Amino acid sequence: MIFLTLLFSTFREAIAKKIFIGFFAIATLIILVFLFLINVDSIEGMVNMMESSGEEGVRQLVIQFEVAMINISYLLVITFCFISVSSFIPSMLEKGNIDLLLSKPVTRAQIILAKFLGGVLLIFLSLLYLIGFVWLILSSKSGFWHVPFLYSILWLTLSFAVIYSLIIFIGLISQSSILSIILSLFLVFIVCPVLYFREETIFSLVSNNVVQFIINFFYYILPKPTDINQITTDIITGNPVKSYMPVFSSVLFMLAALSASIFYFKKKDY
Amino acid sequence: MNVVTTKNLSKEYSAKSFSKEKILALSNFSFEVQSGEIFGLLGPNGAGKTTLIKILLGITFPTSGDIKIFDKDISNQSYKKKVGYLPESHKFPNYLTGEQVLHFFGKLSGLSSNDVKKKSDEYLKLVDMEKWRKTKIKKYSKGMLQRLGLAQAMLNQPELIFLDEPTDGVDPIGRKEIRDILNNLKQQGTTIFLNSHLLSEVELICDRVAILNKGVLIKSGRVDDITATSDNYIFTTTDLDESVINKLLVSFKCTIKSKNEFYFNSDSVEELNKLIDFIRQNNIMIQGIAREKNTLEDMFINLIGSKN
Ligand SMILES: Nc1ncnc2c1ncn2[C@@H]1O[C@H](COP(=O)(O)OP(=O)(O)OP(=O)(O)O)[C@@H](O)[C@H]1O
Ligand SMILES: [Mg+2]
Repeated sequence: MIFLTLLFSTFREAIAKKIFIGFFAIATLIILVFLFLINVDSIEGMVNMMESSGEEGVRQLVIQFEVAMINISYLLVITFCFISVSSFIPSMLEKGNIDLLLSKPVTRAQIILAKFLGGVLLIFLSLLYLIGFVWLILSSKSGFWHVPFLYSILWLTLSFAVIYSLIIFIGLISQSSILSIILSLFLVFIVCPVLYFREETIFSLVSNNVVQFIINFFYYILPKPTDINQITTDIITGNPVKSYMPVFSSVLFMLAALSASIFYFKKKDY
Repeated sequence: MNVVTTKNLSKEYSAKSFSKEKILALSNFSFEVQSGEIFGLLGPNGAGKTTLIKILLGITFPTSGDIKIFDKDISNQSYKKKVGYLPESHKFPNYLTGEQVLHFFGKLSGLSSNDVKKKSDEYLKLVDMEKWRKTKIKKYSKGMLQRLGLAQAMLNQPELIFLDEPTDGVDPIGRKEIRDILNNLKQQGTTIFLNSHLLSEVELICDRVAILNKGVLIKSGRVDDITATSDNYIFTTTDLDESVINKLLVSFKCTIKSKNEFYFNSDSVEELNKLIDFIRQNNIMIQGIAREKNTLEDMFINLIGSKN
């Protein structure tokens, strides 16, 4: 019961901070644009294509839309969600608030887990809204009910959860939401893509074995949202997934970051 | 029975992060709070009062020492269900209304939704905040926040309640109301632990006090005992003549204040009566004898002033 109260408070905070209103506004805009595009297409492009290449053509078009949608959501989710959740921990740690929280019969581990699960649930619901609606529109218009697209809700939530565990850890240690945002965006938009394409980028410039080993080492221990995004796309387009290693290692990273957060939080004086 | 007992409690903070320099916020602090009393912890700024409360509530961890609350070790969280706390300069999430604050913290204390509702009504009335219950607390004044904080601390009907500067920012009438509330709680058997600078107020409501300076306990005891230790008697009489004054000065070592008033200092009752006999023999009427009472403030300033 107490845990649910904590979980719910995370929701209330997100709503109160109005950042999620922004998310929903943009998501709604995207949905409307989709609706509009589909309507235009169904009149000209899609109808033509249906006639020329039949059902297969529609399928291809739907999948292309879906892949575009995943990439938009990825950008949107990552940026918006990180900004909104990055203040959860620092604001909780404010003097006069954390004291009272810790004087209640909740364990420190419960507090961290509630913040984590609250954030993850929130993003899950946001994605459910965005992707769910787009899926409904696409499917009803095209008559092609492509379920793998819905799986992307889970994959994107996972990517978020992995980075969010890091945001929590940074927030606990630095008590700064700005630092959490900067570091996580840097990781997601610079470090992870570079590591993902390390063979095409760094390795083509540096052939030193030691450097390559170090780079590989970082690739394997750091979370891999870029890889997970690729896996999501592969699943939608029906390409075989090369390896699920990025998923497992990201989940491991998440568990490690959460454990480290709980460990640190348990020892800290407030 | 003791509700709180500590033995040789010490707390070191590091002065800066990554520095070896230490601040000793509490040093070998041993004390107890008895069931049903109002206990006041006094001390100048930075004495370690807040630190002590935070340690007792498991918010900060002691460097060494033992703590028992309700006769149990505090490593088990369950005692917190029976404890209330009003932090110093508390900061509730400011997007909540007064009612929502009580709901949130009440639930966290383990109350059911029904109980929270019932108790919120009761305590909001008690602290005179009923008409503000639906207002977001970012619109509250400091005193209003303090009243809400007090309601929050009482909501789970704690057996032991910690108040860090409960009357901070509250107007004189509000203070009187808070004192009445605390006295009421005491009548109901709640043990109250409070931190305060406001010595005159502590004197009015506390049964026992401890005085803390730079982390060290320098005095503790019943308020009555601490404030009544003076052996100074103030005499008011009809006019004293020259010879009597001389005798008072020389034989009784009195301090003459005026023709009608003098001070006599002695811890011997015999001496006191000798003095009274002498005055009466000289046909001087005694209009009043009062044993001077030290206020807590006098004592506090004497003790702390001499240490610094
Ligand atoms: N988190 C902390 N890190 C380092 N030092 C601290 C910390 N909290 C308190 N201190 C130090 O411990 C000492 C005691 O502080 P504390 O807040 O307990 O004083 P206090 O008696 O409550 O003072 P006040 O009357 O001003 O509220 C002070 O010297 C303070 O600087
Ligand atoms: Mg204090």
